[in-house]
Amino acid sequence: MNSVVEIRGVSRRFGDVMAVDNLTLSLGAGEIMGFLGANGAGKTTTIKMLLGLIRPTSGTVSVLGGDPSDAKVRAKIGYMPEIAYYYPYLNARELLAFYGGLCGMDGKTIRARTDELLSTVGLADTAKRPLKTYSKGMLQRAGIAQALLHDPDLLVLDEPFTGLDPLARIHFRELMHRLREQGKSIFFSSHELGETELLCDKVAIMKAGQAVYQGPVRQLAGDGERNLERLFLDVLSKGGAA
Amino acid sequence: MKMFIRQLKSLVRLSFVELWRRNDIFALLILALALLVPLSMASPFGASGASRYLDEVALLLIWGFSLFIALGTGARLFPPEFESRTIYPLLSKPISRGALLVGKYLGAVAASWSALALFYLLFVGCALLRGGALSVELVQGFVFHAAFVAFAVAVALVGSLLVTPSANLTLSATALTAMFFFGRRLPDYAETVSAPLSWLVKVAYAIGPHVEFFDMRQRLIHGWGGVDAVVMVAVLAYGAVYTGACLAVAGLLLKRKRV
Repeated sequence: MNSVVEIRGVSRRFGDVMAVDNLTLSLGAGEIMGFLGANGAGKTTTIKMLLGLIRPTSGTVSVLGGDPSDAKVRAKIGYMPEIAYYYPYLNARELLAFYGGLCGMDGKTIRARTDELLSTVGLADTAKRPLKTYSKGMLQRAGIAQALLHDPDLLVLDEPFTGLDPLARIHFRELMHRLREQGKSIFFSSHELGETELLCDKVAIMKAGQAVYQGPVRQLAGDGERNLERLFLDVLSKGGAA
Repeated sequence: MKMFIRQLKSLVRLSFVELWRRNDIFALLILALALLVPLSMASPFGASGASRYLDEVALLLIWGFSLFIALGTGARLFPPEFESRTIYPLLSKPISRGALLVGKYLGAVAASWSALALFYLLFVGCALLRGGALSVELVQGFVFHAAFVAFAVAVALVGSLLVTPSANLTLSATALTAMFFFGRRLPDYAETVSAPLSWLVKVAYAIGPHVEFFDMRQRLIHGWGGVDAVVMVAVLAYGAVYTGACLAVAGLLLKRKRV
C-alpha cells in the first residue's frame, strides 16, 4: 500500500523542550488513523509538521510523496483545526467561497461544492446566517466543510468531535467512512477514545513526544477486555508498548 | 498566475466585507455626516470668506477619520487570525505567507480607500451646497490622501506583527500624527537642542516618513492650485518606497512568526 503520510525519525525541539522525539509512523491510502495522547504529548506539533506549518528539527515528513511546506502538496490536504472561530461577519456560504478562492477553485466549482457540502454537514438551512450566530457544533461543521471543499486526498483533523452532538457525531462517522471508501486517507487527533475506536483502522498513542503504541484497532475489537480505553491507560501508565 | 489572482481576490473580498459589516465604519460615517453637513450650512459671523475655515475643519476631520480607519483595518489583519485560530486553516491552504500578506494588505487598502472615497464625496457634496465647484486640486488631494492611507495601513500591519493591538494603534497613531504635524519642523527643533539629541532629531528627519508631503489641505483651502505632475509622481514614488519597505518588513516578520 502506498504511504500517504510517511514520518521517519522526526524530532521537533522548542528550546529545551523536545515536543516530538524520534517519531516514525505511516498512513496508507484509504486508511483512518487516530492520533491519541494526553495534553502536551506532541500531537499538535506533529499535525503542524504534517501541514508544513513548522519544520522538524530532524527527520523527514513526507505527505503524498512531497514536502508539505510545498503549496502543491498542501493543495491535496484538507485540515480542520480544533474549534476555530471563523470570520464572524461572513456566513457559511461566504466562508467556503473564501477558502475555495484560496485553493484556486473557480466560482462555478465553489458554488457546486458549497451546495453539496453544506447539505452534507447539515448547514444548508443556516448557510446565510452570520457565523457569529453559530454554536460551537455548527462552527465545527463549517470547519469540516472547509476542509473537504477542495476534495483533498488527505484529511487532517484536530479533535473533530469537539462540540458535535451525538447525531452529528454519527453523521460525521458515516461521512468519514464514505470518504475512506473513496480512497481518502484520514489522520485525526482526539481525546474521544470511544469515537476513535469506532472510526479508525489504526491508532498511534503519544506520550512525551514519543509514539508508545502503534497498531490496528481491529485487533482490539475481538478482545472483550481490551478496548481502546484500557489499552490507552495501560500504555500511558507503563510508558511502553502494550 | 490564475491561482494567485483568485487567492488575492478572495483575501481582498474578505477584508472589504469585514470592514463594511463592522459597525464602527458606519458610526464614523454618521459622525462625519453630523459634523460636515451642519458645517456646510454655517456662515460664521456672516463672513463670506469663512467657507475656507469650514473646509479646513472638514478636511481635518476626514484626515482624522481616514487615519482611524486605515490603522484599525491594518492592525486587524493578522491578530484576529491568531486569536480565533483561523490562521491554521488559512496557512494549510496552498497559499504562501507572502501571497497571504499581499492579499490581506490589498484588501485592507481597498476597503480603507472605499471609506475615504465616501468621505470625499460627502465633502464635495457639502462644498457644492455652499456654491463651490469640483477642482483638479481636489482630485490630486484625494490621490495623495489615498497614498497616505495605503502607507498607514502598511505601518499598522507591521505593528500588528510586532506588538499587541492596543500598543500598535497607540504607537502608529502617535508616530504618524507627530510626523504629520511636526515632521517639517524637526530641523528647526534640532537647532535648539544639543548633541546627541540634535543628531537623533536630524536622523529622524532624514529617514522618517514625511507624511506631510501627502497633505494638500492648505492648497485646497486657500486655492493655491495643484502641484506639477513631476512633483506628484515623486511624492507617490516616495510613498511607494516607504510602503514597500513596511511590507517587506511585515513579510519577514510573518515568515518568522511561529504558528
